[in-house]
Amino acid sequence: MRKKRNATKVLDTSITYVVLIAVSFIFLFPCLWLILASFSKSGTIYSFEGFFPKEYSLINFKRLFTDTTLYNYPKWFLNTLFVAAGSCILGTFLVILTAYTMSRFEFKARKPMMKTTMVLGMFPSFMGMIAVYLLMTQFNLINHLWGLILIYSAGAPMGYLTQKGFFDTIPKAIDEAARIDGATNFQVFTKINLPLSKPIIVYTALTSFTWPWSDFILPKLLLKEKDLYTVAVGLMNLDETEFARFAAGSVFIAVPIVILYFFLVKDMVNGMAQGAVKG
Amino acid sequence: MKKKKATIACVTLLVAAQLTACGSEANTSASTQNGAGAESSTEGGTKVSGGSSVFTGELEQNVTIRVLENDTAISKGYFDELIAAFNEEYADYGIKAVDANMDQYSDLANDGPYGYGPDVLYQANDVIMQYAEGKHIYPIPAESMECYSQIPESAWEAYETTVDGTTYCCGVPVNIQAPMLYYRTDLLPEDWETAWDQDGNKVPDIVENWNDMYAYSIARHEADASKYGYMKSLYDAYFSSGFLFSYGGYLFGENNTDPSDIGLSKGEAEKGAWVLSQLATVMNEECIDDTITTNAYSKLADGTYFATITTPDLYSTFLDELTAEYEKEGLDAEQAKEKAKENLVMTELPKLPESGDLTEENPTLIDSKMMGGVNGYAISAYTKYPNASLAFVDFATSYEMMLKRSEMLGIAPAREDAAEKAGGTSELLYENLEAGNIILMPSIQEVSQFWTPAQTFFTDLAKDAFRPEGEKKYTDLSSFKTGLEEMDAQIYDAIFTLK
Repeated sequence: MRKKRNATKVLDTSITYVVLIAVSFIFLFPCLWLILASFSKSGTIYSFEGFFPKEYSLINFKRLFTDTTLYNYPKWFLNTLFVAAGSCILGTFLVILTAYTMSRFEFKARKPMMKTTMVLGMFPSFMGMIAVYLLMTQFNLINHLWGLILIYSAGAPMGYLTQKGFFDTIPKAIDEAARIDGATNFQVFTKINLPLSKPIIVYTALTSFTWPWSDFILPKLLLKEKDLYTVAVGLMNLDETEFARFAAGSVFIAVPIVILYFFLVKDMVNGMAQGAVKG
Repeated sequence: MKKKKATIACVTLLVAAQLTACGSEANTSASTQNGAGAESSTEGGTKVSGGSSVFTGELEQNVTIRVLENDTAISKGYFDELIAAFNEEYADYGIKAVDANMDQYSDLANDGPYGYGPDVLYQANDVIMQYAEGKHIYPIPAESMECYSQIPESAWEAYETTVDGTTYCCGVPVNIQAPMLYYRTDLLPEDWETAWDQDGNKVPDIVENWNDMYAYSIARHEADASKYGYMKSLYDAYFSSGFLFSYGGYLFGENNTDPSDIGLSKGEAEKGAWVLSQLATVMNEECIDDTITTNAYSKLADGTYFATITTPDLYSTFLDELTAEYEKEGLDAEQAKEKAKENLVMTELPKLPESGDLTEENPTLIDSKMMGGVNGYAISAYTKYPNASLAFVDFATSYEMMLKRSEMLGIAPAREDAAEKAGGTSELLYENLEAGNIILMPSIQEVSQFWTPAQTFFTDLAKDAFRPEGEKKYTDLSSFKTGLEEMDAQIYDAIFTLK
């Protein structure tokens, strides 16, 4: 009986692993192909032997950073970094404040506001693009990276629910104890709740960073000058013969986000897990 | 009393009529305010050569004008030289030209009204004329420009539009674009001088007529299954439509101005479709989509393809690829470039058999006609500095700059004197334009409804070559004719249903 149970367990595990390997291969293969293509020496997709390049070299990465007459990748990279970092800082600040307010304070419009933001959040963000474009022309924020930062940051608090869920898990009794000791609302937030919220702050910062880092629609709409392009827009504007540059650019843009992910993954998982539990 | 009322009514009507007349005159003057200037009579109506009234001739001083150039001109360094020369010339006026730093295909109609468009833009004639129809472009005082007499009338016509019987010119032709044959001399058969040069003119017959190109393509593929002769994406209507034009087909009637008369099936255009269908049989299935268009550079360089057709502005891209290939074979950079220049030839399209049969021996040959375009400069209607912009266009279309452009980019100048000096391909293209073998892309907006139905037909035609014998759609000339007529009907429906 025990032997039979063991055999079933082994079979079950084996099937699980086979399925997992197959699924991961399906997802990994395009990434692997792109990474290998970025190291292709010939620079053209049509010289590949089957799926993979014949010869490998770093020439595409070198060209990416040295041949900048027409395609200024280093500039695009810095623009993307500026927009993502700015949106990350400002967006995180606004999301945390919104979530904390909704979690800790009772006020008349609290419930209607929560419902409204929930409904508004269901609409796709690109729905208001024409309105955004017209508004930005009125504020003279077309062709300004700050314009993008403001839009990303202003839109970020709409997704405050995960953070609110996290703040809900911190017992209110701690706040009340602090208040009895004479702490103000600001002190309760900065001295008590904020130090306890590291995982959710990291999670918020990371998601606020990754969205602008990979977004295409908004920068394409608001940035007209090539020197102001973000990497996503710049890569989409490459000529059809520039596949190798496209592959190298796509691979390189993933580097910072992967590093950031490995450094912060622990806090991020904690943040997600705790934010998901209703307190 | 009644009489008084009637008089008042009459006076009111008269005044109203006067006001309406003034209104309509005011409207006309508003709509044609861009067209004030010297008038000259033409067959179709009044031709205004003075351009917009904003071109007063008084240069705006201490201003910066933003110029949108094409990517090749920027990457090859021509644009830097152009703006440096212009800025030096106009330094006393404080006029400075800079790169608009925008995507070469950015849309003036979207960006211009909000003040983000360029002051001067370089585009193909069909794009500029679509902007002109939307009044995003200023009519230019063409006749007052230095280049006017040097550019053929047919090139100017590509930029002309008629509003209320008055003709305006909305762009300045810079270079002529038309399909050219690219091939490698080192891939010719070793015995070409004895076996493939019947007329003994020291030019291989393979590149002089499509029948020999067809025969050589078969021979090359038979000798090595991985190699091909002529290769081109047939679905590309810009290149394929020329085969129909050669046998009497046309896009729009009345010299490409009447969209109600679509004539791609007219004349003996079915013979052109038959030629394309025969050419498809010597290619592989990549001719169905745009694969060959994108891989031709590397495939011609590595010797997989012997020849292809595309526009002359891509010569430098082919040359770079071939140079890189020779470097891979062990030559140093200088030798490789020299060898590539020697072996890569860009020439006019081969002649077609009058019968349309590529297997016919000793055929009667006719000239290949082709769809072409004229790229040029236009001035945005949203510019604050029209006179400085016009000065830039005048400078950029001068003999020296056009010649330099031709030398650096390998393009064919629209100026006769520059084309003559540049010689070679430029002169050939210029002659073809004058001879009427280059049919310029129509400058009316209805042309946008041509591409999709045409691509569908040409894709189907290319696919047909790879269908099993019993399933082929195009088996004789009448079936080609039917296919072309269907395409005409689709284009007509697309134009007039959408209206």
